[in-house]
Amino acid sequence: MTAAARASWARFRGGHFFGRHQSFSVVVGMAIVTAILPFIVLAPPFSGFGTQTDFVDGFSQAGVWVLLAIGLNVVVGLAGLLDLGYAAFFAIGAYTYAYGASPYSGNHVAFWVMLLVGAAVAAMAGLLLGAPTLRLRGDYLAIVTLGFGEIVPVVFTNSDQYTNGTNGITALYQPSLINLSLPIPNLSGILPNLGLFQGSYGFGNPWPYYISVAAIISVVMILAYRLQDSRLGRAWMAIREDELAAASMGINTVTTKLLAFAIGASTSGLAGVYLSSKLSIVSPTQFGFTVSFTVLAMVVLGGMGNIWGVAAGAFVVYEIQSQGLKQLNVFVGQYFPNGLPIFGHVDFLTYQYLLYGLALVGMMLLRPEGLFPSRRRRQELHDVEDADAANVELVEA
Amino acid sequence: MKPRPIALLAVVAIVASACSSAASTPSPAGNTPAPGSSATPAPAGNTTVTLGVDLPLSGAETPNGQPTLNGVQLAVAENPVPGYTIKVVAKDDALNGVHDPQTGATNIGQFVNDSSVFGVVGPFNSNVAQAEIPVSNAAGLLQCSPANTNPGLTKGAAALQLRSTHPDQIAYVRVATTDDIQGQAGADIAYNVVGARTAYIVDDTETYGKGLADQFETTFKALGGTVVGHDGVGKSGQSDFTALLTAAKAKNPQFVYFGGVTATGGGLLRKQMAQLGMANIPFGGGDGISDGSAATANSFLNVAGPAGDPSTYMTVAAVSLIPDKAKFDADYKAKYGSEAGAYSASGYACTQILLQALKAVGPDRAKVRAYVTGQTPAPTFNTVLGNITFDANGDTSQHIISDYKFDPTTKDWAFFEQKDFTSGVTTTAPPAAAAPSAS
Amino acid sequence: MDAGILTQQLLNGLTIGAMYALIALGYTMVYGIIELINFAHGDVFMVGSFVTLWLLSTIGVQNTVNDPVALVGLLILMFAFSMVVMGLVGVLIERFAYRPLRRAPRLAPLITAIGVSFILQNIIQVLYGTAYFNVPQVIDPLAGFSFKLPSFAIGGFAVTSSLVTVTWVHVFIVVLAVAMMVALQVFVRRTNLGRAMRSTAIDREAAQLMGVDINTTIALTFFIGSALAGAAGVAWTLNYGLTKFDNGFQAGLKSFTAAVLGGIGNTTGAAIGGFLIAFIEVFSSQLGYSRWSEAIVFTILILVLVFKPTGILGQQVAERA
Repeated sequence: MTAAARASWARFRGGHFFGRHQSFSVVVGMAIVTAILPFIVLAPPFSGFGTQTDFVDGFSQAGVWVLLAIGLNVVVGLAGLLDLGYAAFFAIGAYTYAYGASPYSGNHVAFWVMLLVGAAVAAMAGLLLGAPTLRLRGDYLAIVTLGFGEIVPVVFTNSDQYTNGTNGITALYQPSLINLSLPIPNLSGILPNLGLFQGSYGFGNPWPYYISVAAIISVVMILAYRLQDSRLGRAWMAIREDELAAASMGINTVTTKLLAFAIGASTSGLAGVYLSSKLSIVSPTQFGFTVSFTVLAMVVLGGMGNIWGVAAGAFVVYEIQSQGLKQLNVFVGQYFPNGLPIFGHVDFLTYQYLLYGLALVGMMLLRPEGLFPSRRRRQELHDVEDADAANVELVEA
Repeated sequence: MKPRPIALLAVVAIVASACSSAASTPSPAGNTPAPGSSATPAPAGNTTVTLGVDLPLSGAETPNGQPTLNGVQLAVAENPVPGYTIKVVAKDDALNGVHDPQTGATNIGQFVNDSSVFGVVGPFNSNVAQAEIPVSNAAGLLQCSPANTNPGLTKGAAALQLRSTHPDQIAYVRVATTDDIQGQAGADIAYNVVGARTAYIVDDTETYGKGLADQFETTFKALGGTVVGHDGVGKSGQSDFTALLTAAKAKNPQFVYFGGVTATGGGLLRKQMAQLGMANIPFGGGDGISDGSAATANSFLNVAGPAGDPSTYMTVAAVSLIPDKAKFDADYKAKYGSEAGAYSASGYACTQILLQALKAVGPDRAKVRAYVTGQTPAPTFNTVLGNITFDANGDTSQHIISDYKFDPTTKDWAFFEQKDFTSGVTTTAPPAAAAPSAS
Repeated sequence: MDAGILTQQLLNGLTIGAMYALIALGYTMVYGIIELINFAHGDVFMVGSFVTLWLLSTIGVQNTVNDPVALVGLLILMFAFSMVVMGLVGVLIERFAYRPLRRAPRLAPLITAIGVSFILQNIIQVLYGTAYFNVPQVIDPLAGFSFKLPSFAIGGFAVTSSLVTVTWVHVFIVVLAVAMMVALQVFVRRTNLGRAMRSTAIDREAAQLMGVDINTTIALTFFIGSALAGAAGVAWTLNYGLTKFDNGFQAGLKSFTAAVLGGIGNTTGAAIGGFLIAFIEVFSSQLGYSRWSEAIVFTILILVLVFKPTGILGQQVAERA
């Protein structure tokens, strides 16, 4: 371990614990974003793509991905562990809710309780998988998580008597604890179509989901920030940069990595509970490798290590994937009714993966630190470049 | 009024179909009567109402969704409702090229929130329906699926859970009969037509395939047969069935039944049976392998190739001898330049039912729903599939299964009988009605 | 007990394993030299099968070729074409997607690899669609021979044997795969280029100082690995007569698992891993657990890694900072 690294570790240890400041900015930031988003979509060009309710529904769906990305960021971005089976914990969370609140199981535990239970069960699964395997080197760990991600859906699909097999579990109960219609006066006359003030959770009324997911994200973000700035967070980053050096500084690397794994898994479980309560079904096909991979791409595109960055990355990628490409078709269809010049009629949805692939490759080549890089990460990247430049000169000299 | 955005989606759907003519493109300009969406000139004092369509329209699923959507468009064009201009708004429930329950739920939610929508045709896939039925049930928006066959969507405890908001109000009906009937038909072929007493069953571990295979197993056993093995093939993308078939061969089955679709390996299974010397064992499957003759690229018979031996059977949960088959096929071909798809007529029928309700009670959703599923006795709808009544669960009265067999001379499915599982009447095909492709 | 069925299943496993092994070699070579999980490799294999489809339809082959001379000529052409084309594709991928990132954090090239995998799949999807595609099986898939093992009894335990069928296609694929693996070993051990590859894998800077052209060597590794995947693509079409745009994902996943199971970076290990995974799959099917086979494969992988963290033949390598 170099003297510089030692010094920076010492600086981290002595660093200020400014969690309260971060919590404040997260709450304010999320409140502003949550308040503004539904109104942005009333303005052109968005207003041309769908009604406000449609958009809010999409946003509350996007919240699932934001949660997943924040969770995976702890594992990949902070602790530097490559997890390719993140969807497994998502599935475990979702099925936990299905057991806790559906006619299938006969239980009806409140959604807000199940959020915690789902997170705890997923964390437990993370511990069980991580304990024996986290000693493995990075790439071996990646394949183990990938394998786990493949095993879990197979188990859910084939254990008919416990999971209702490939049909999945249906008619999960929707949240009901908070009735948002009570304390707020009915403003529907002033703000038309604002279903928030018209009732509680239900299909066709995405507002309560939207508000809840924003609240859940805020809490998770605050926790993530506090963790990042805590002793544990600094230990993660130390392991990410140099595991050997971190170990020799007295960090218990196995426990530290295990905690990252479990905390990441618990966030995924949380997202699973939320998603299944909103959709009201779970089925094993929802949790394939594409999900794990999409979340990873969101984290990378957003900027690994930067909590706000990955959240924004997740949001942007989800919106492009679910809305953007379809709208692109509409746009082109509108302005070029006879097809694009040269290309003719192009269905952009067909090219979705191609565009996605090009975006990933291009992003890595041009801006490997992501759209919204974390300051520390960027420094490291540039340090590497400088050091390598020096190396090359040496070699060539 | 600002342009109605969703209408634009309909444009896309048609642009994507690559066979659009100027006349069939609805204008994106909102409230003005769209000239193309209804074939007849709109009478004065028209109300524009929206017919929602939710189908998989991109990626691998386009061959399922697009011909069905064409059937809907054709029905709208050919069955004008006086006083109304029908705007067809098609939404795609595929995400990343695969049908996606989450997207389906979002789509149906958008239809619910669009007050001009009086009814919805769709969805195509059973797991999408699982996500949509609770939404349409809560909102009382009637949806008619042209293709869903999973029994759990309408019958039993699972279905009651799906419509938990209004268990007594049926907002989801379908014109295809259920897999339990189709599974029975498969077992009936194996036991009575082929005369097999032992069967080996393979399913693709998906909702449709497994449901079909399980029903086959139950019925085959009830008839007195023995199921010597029942295994599943893992995920789609698995290409090797030699090990599974070697294990099956050792058990000497007299019939092999496949619950699944061509895309999850149906053709491959039949092909590899031949390679393992099992070509002479009769093979059967459901409508998941009904996708055209050996000349149709990528169809079951095409994939199975020469191995699609005479003794390959297939059942379809649709009426083959539809009353006006020749006219329907001709109209479809005239408008879209291609052969009708497996569920085009079913999409047409669903549309007819919704339009008849509109004609009778107007565009009010609650009235439309009550008209179709809330009356005693249930009304009979005259559709392209014949007369249809819906039972208390929203299932069609037509428990008709068409049985097909591979014909090595035409290299196509040949219709040989149609069984009505309500009356037990079997109708064999008049020679002229041998369908060139499964309907 | 029926020894015939077990033998038949072993032969089935041998054929599948040969194809997994060919693909796994590419994973392991690339990993050995630049420590990258080349996620796009499975799709290179898939594109190889489509390249073969294109070749056959272009020269107008639609059926089994029975004339032995013509058949040999055609097979040479198919393999040469697919291997060269896919080798070049591999080199291109390396040049544009991985080389610029050689000094980037480890995750970056992994992400591009997944990106490239998407691009390859989507190109095929746009060109050919998403269904199964028939590829003419130039070797008659039914031709072969069959035999019976002797039946015997030890004590009260009778061992019978049903007919074991061996097709020429299976023989051809296994022989070809083994030949290619041997050739690769000879190349890596005995030639200068092979030596350059090995030294680059061990210490890139030192190799450079000793006069090894790193870029050429890495490109060569990609060429060979991708060419082997191309060969596996041809073998696949010979065996199954079909291909599909997402074949690469499942086959790639299994082969990658094979490479890790055998000890990634070790070519012999990759071959062993390939056959092992195929046997696990085949015997889970024999026992009637086909629907669980994927879970069984990955469970065994996890167990092996827990008890032997570097795979069966892998050596302990220091974690690179």
